[in-house]
Amino acid sequence: MVVFEPKIVMFCCNWCSYAGADLVGVGRLQYPTNTRVIRVMCSSRIQPTFILQALKDGADGVLVTGCHIGDCHYIDGNVYTEERMKNVVDAMKLLGLEGRVHLEWVSASEGPKFRETVTEFVEQIRALGLSPLRAE
Amino acid sequence: MTNNSNNSQVCYQCGTCIAICPVRRVVKFSPRVAIYDSNIYDTDTDVWDCLTCGQCVTACPQGVRLLDFFLDQRIGGEPRDIVHKGVFTELADLMTQLGNSKTTLLKGDDTAGIGYFPGCVDFHDMFFDLDMDFGEIATSSVTLLSKAGLSPKIMQLKCCGHDQLWQGNQEMFDKLKEENTRLINESGIDTLVVSCAECYRTFLMDYDLDCEVKHISQVLADADLGITNGSATAAIHDACRLGRHTGEYDAPRKAIAATGANIVEMQHTKENALCCGVSSMMNCNDHTKALRVLRMDEAKRTGADVLITSCPKCLAHLNCLKEEEDSEHGHDYPFEVLDLTVYLARKLGGGNGGDGGDGDE
Repeated sequence: MVVFEPKIVMFCCNWCSYAGADLVGVGRLQYPTNTRVIRVMCSSRIQPTFILQALKDGADGVLVTGCHIGDCHYIDGNVYTEERMKNVVDAMKLLGLEGRVHLEWVSASEGPKFRETVTEFVEQIRALGLSPLRAE
Repeated sequence: MTNNSNNSQVCYQCGTCIAICPVRRVVKFSPRVAIYDSNIYDTDTDVWDCLTCGQCVTACPQGVRLLDFFLDQRIGGEPRDIVHKGVFTELADLMTQLGNSKTTLLKGDDTAGIGYFPGCVDFHDMFFDLDMDFGEIATSSVTLLSKAGLSPKIMQLKCCGHDQLWQGNQEMFDKLKEENTRLINESGIDTLVVSCAECYRTFLMDYDLDCEVKHISQVLADADLGITNGSATAAIHDACRLGRHTGEYDAPRKAIAATGANIVEMQHTKENALCCGVSSMMNCNDHTKALRVLRMDEAKRTGADVLITSCPKCLAHLNCLKEEEDSEHGHDYPFEVLDLTVYLARKLGGGNGGDGGDGDE
């Protein structure tokens, strides 16, 4: 049987998570290749619309990462992100796409955490299966 | 595409619509010129500036159905300036594709012959940056209907499609309409009650439903809620969708007056009511903010304790201005802006004020 390989859109902020991804690469840590990383300058750049659009265009899951609260390069951008993502996750429950959107803080020094986050999320989406928006 | 009720050919270009148009106060926009251009040059000048509030329709001596005209002009066009980055349009689009999507998590009496649809108030909670609880509209409505002896079935419909239709997206509207009509017919209800003025207009005028459609104010106007402690002075903002579009001015007043409240009328009221400044999730900008300021100033001049409306959109936009003005400019509005159902339900619960009901989650 062919294992389902989910397509995941991952947003990384330029200052922490993207550097974290670089650290994983430099450290040669292995992690699943299901993610398509999109670099943004700050996680607060990510509008709820982006996530809905990604799901509509066939992503099975959307993973949003950013700096830890207090570490934001733009002082408090990620505070807005946290609020917005909480709402998007709530909206997903109503839309019947529960568990397909996740927010995680990953700093530039947390290579292993980056790997764990991606691995866990990929497994979570694999268990959920194909997005109902792709099945049609 | 032209529907039969668009009779813009009978316009004799008198310009009465320009004189009354609220948008004209703040933008160089003219319904007259829009009709002229479309009939003579086949262009759609300006149609996206219109707030579709319908004041011109009440003023027109020729009985031109300008709302149908603007709707026709918009169908298939490219909307301008959709607010909140179009998140509500995306949500509606996802709903058309996701069979088991919901708009509320409330539970009701599944055997009831009366259905209640809260609209997208839960999504408003998620995507408006306001310190208010839209979900309370839904919980309050259910409380009030139960109190009136009409324990409702909670309808799990998709978005009614109002905004998509007025944004010119007929295709998406048709999908939502088809799905909702099927769901309503399957549910076997004979009356559909909605708490949102936009839902009311859409289900009543743009859908072809077999069941009766009622706005909650019409149900509550005839019900005995037993509230006698409503001694407030209340001003009522007539939502365009409930007022000029569907002609219901008295039901909200009757429901409020039954509580013992003193109703004061603003300078522009009923069929002349000013627009809250935003409809169909379009045109939220500096120009229309000026209209909101005009409306809120009128309310302030009446000396009311509370401004009551029956449309969640009016509620959001007036409260948005109130929050901003109160916190940043000290230009305070010494009254609350509340939805009709929330106002009544709080009185029902002994007037606990504050943020009342515990929500939507």
